Amino acid sequence: MAARERKGLHRYRRWSQLAFLALFLGLLALTVWPLGNVFLGSFLVADPLVAINSLVNGVLRVEMWLALVVLVAPLFLGRAFCGYVCPMGTLIEWTSTAKRRIGLSESARDVWRRMPTIVLLFVAGLLLFGTGAYLVFDPLTTATRAATTLLFPAIDRTVRLAGDIAYLAPPLRGAVDSVTTALSGRIIYAEPRVYGLALLVLGMLALMLAASLVERRFWCRHLCPLGALFGLVGRGAIRGRVVDAEACISCGKCEQVCPLDAVRDGYRATDTSRCQMCMKCADVCPADAISTAARPRRSLYTPSRRAFLTAGGAGLLAGFFTFTGLSRRTPDRYLVRPPGARDESAFLALCTRCGQCMKVCPSNVLQPSLSKSGIEGLFTPELDYRVGSCDWNCAECGKVCPSSAIRPLELETKRKTVIGRAYIDTARCIPWTDYRTCLVCQELCPIPDKAIVLTEETVSRPEGEPITIKRPHVIEKRCIGCGVCETHCPVPREAAIRVRGRSG
Amino acid sequence: MDRREFCRIALGCTVIGCSGGLAGCARLLDWSSGGSDAGRAVSMSGDTSTATVEATATPQTEPPPDLAVRRGEDPATNVRAAVASLGGMERFVKSGGRVAIKPNVIVGREPEFATTTNPAVVAAVVSMAYEAGAAEVVVFDRPTSDPRTAYSVSGIEAAVNAAGGAMRTLTDRNFERVEIPGGVALTSWPLVTDVFEADTFINMPIAKHHGMAILTMAMKNLMGIMGGERGEIHQEFDQKIVDLATVVRPHLVILDAYRIMVRNGPTGGSLADVETPKTVIAGTSMPSVDAYGATLFGLTAQDLPYLRNAQERGVGVTDLTQLRIDELTT
Repeated sequence: MAARERKGLHRYRRWSQLAFLALFLGLLALTVWPLGNVFLGSFLVADPLVAINSLVNGVLRVEMWLALVVLVAPLFLGRAFCGYVCPMGTLIEWTSTAKRRIGLSESARDVWRRMPTIVLLFVAGLLLFGTGAYLVFDPLTTATRAATTLLFPAIDRTVRLAGDIAYLAPPLRGAVDSVTTALSGRIIYAEPRVYGLALLVLGMLALMLAASLVERRFWCRHLCPLGALFGLVGRGAIRGRVVDAEACISCGKCEQVCPLDAVRDGYRATDTSRCQMCMKCADVCPADAISTAARPRRSLYTPSRRAFLTAGGAGLLAGFFTFTGLSRRTPDRYLVRPPGARDESAFLALCTRCGQCMKVCPSNVLQPSLSKSGIEGLFTPELDYRVGSCDWNCAECGKVCPSSAIRPLELETKRKTVIGRAYIDTARCIPWTDYRTCLVCQELCPIPDKAIVLTEETVSRPEGEPITIKRPHVIEKRCIGCGVCETHCPVPREAAIRVRGRSG
Repeated sequence: MDRREFCRIALGCTVIGCSGGLAGCARLLDWSSGGSDAGRAVSMSGDTSTATVEATATPQTEPPPDLAVRRGEDPATNVRAAVASLGGMERFVKSGGRVAIKPNVIVGREPEFATTTNPAVVAAVVSMAYEAGAAEVVVFDRPTSDPRTAYSVSGIEAAVNAAGGAMRTLTDRNFERVEIPGGVALTSWPLVTDVFEADTFINMPIAKHHGMAILTMAMKNLMGIMGGERGEIHQEFDQKIVDLATVVRPHLVILDAYRIMVRNGPTGGSLADVETPKTVIAGTSMPSVDAYGATLFGLTAQDLPYLRNAQERGVGVTDLTQLRIDELTT
């Protein structure tokens, strides 16, 4: 059959996806020190799952009206967010081009169709016990995290490599240096960006994409928690896909092309908790029987009491054991959270695991955590002083945090905010144990009064003769835990001065 | 994707990967530098001596002084007067030449804290270089923190850009290992290539206290052109910094002492540690400039072990009585 002319706004769906993807990556690319007045975190603030999590944990922000708009949209537009806006949905759709798929048996499909409900109940269980761990699976945090830890570092390395190659030709060197300086601190960094757990992020992303080998957009259909939330609202859809039952010839083409598996009951009804209003069905319908109108015929899965209790119960159990876990009582001694971070339990409840703080951090010290605060702390930000240290002139992480798990601080306040405390390991410190001069920690300490002081001591060396030497000490009251000392300590592998986390 | 397409992509990736690898090898083997590092270091010191010879050979009624010291309310006026006293910027910058300037931008601090070289002084020198006919003026340091924040907060980036100069953020490719033939404690180290390749290299430190070196001025400022892990430099520092000065000889040294940090150096951060002698010291020898700078802190060259070493090893004269000093309050 010849392609028919398509009518309606859905013709521009691809363009909409492209525009939002570009906007998403563009805003994230601009998320560097120093932040201007543009609000760059719009996507995450518009995320209703993030907003609900924040609200439940007592954080209300003016920008959340955006999330409210997005949340009620499914009443009129179905899950249009998934098909027109979501960068993760776009990525999954555009990579979901396999010609042959594994497919699901009739019974398996019935089970998977219940998944969104189960996912939501599970999320509710976790939410009740104050852990935001499920936000790891939110599509917008996933996309932000993947871009931060994979895409932008890859761009950094690629541009450097191109520069290295161009540098082989001496006439180009001036130009390369100019471009390097112009992009420095924005796209490329004096030390190339590096993030721990990049492979884990990549693996997670790969699984989300590879799930499409089973069914088209498998992740979006059945597993996405944000999609499930939209679905919950979409159940009460006022407007949606309608089929002219008289005209329908029951050819089944609409069911075949539906990306989100929303066609039900002999093609006449719609699962409005899934329909993303892409209208692919209308485009292929040979009888022109499909359109959008008010009061669509809905066909929805309603969980049995048993399913409801099982899923909710599993969520509650998971939440209970995280809540009472060992890591909640004693986080790792070297776990240091960014300046402005709330108390550990509130932090774990609020943090969206999106990694925007890591993107904006100019020194690369903010790194995704693996297990220092237990499994629920996966991908939350921590300071890794082997990579960098908290810059005296920067307080941007709190400004980009979409849930204010890291509260925005004025620069002057941040400079007085204690995030940890440095301790000297005198068994390994050069002047202490090798009787040689070193004062790197003291000279670079940014505190005006110096949190590290040197005392001149005359000591006898093991060989016998006495020596007069300056030795560093940390002044507890002055140290804020920025970690400049640890980053620059010349003792190899493990610094002889290390910052430990504060209490609380 | 069919098999042919896959092969095409695989081949393309291999070619890109190999060219990247080759680029890395080329840098290791140093094909592109047109000579060994040692040769470069020697040619550098050769340049300096010829420049000095030319300058002294020009028929002059009175040879320029060894040090020019200017005091006054305006830092830019001071530095202009000091360089004029040395014979003007034309003595150091040739028409169409490239000029490299190395201020002290150890971390990002506002100029008032006297942690970094006064931006007004740096900007004035950039302008003077252009007035003397320079084709390009580049300014760089290797801060211990993120360079962009350091350049920006210190005010140096804005001042240099306003004067038409170009800030440079240094990456690996700006460094090459340089042999130090006469080195006692330091025999080779990766250094910024621009220092050697530029026609004129101007060292522009600020005078301030330093916990270990006692004072950091021109000689200590050279640590900022060192690549690699600099932490270990602090052992036998007093020899290593002199070793470095045997191969890196700036054509012009300008010590900014408009504001000086008298305690808690080199990073400071408190206005209580800052004094304002409103002085600038210009010369061609780092030890001589540093020897004068020490007097601003009530010290002499004899109090600084690295200056004693420099004098002993013939890197420069530190006895102020042997130097012709042109001092003036503008």
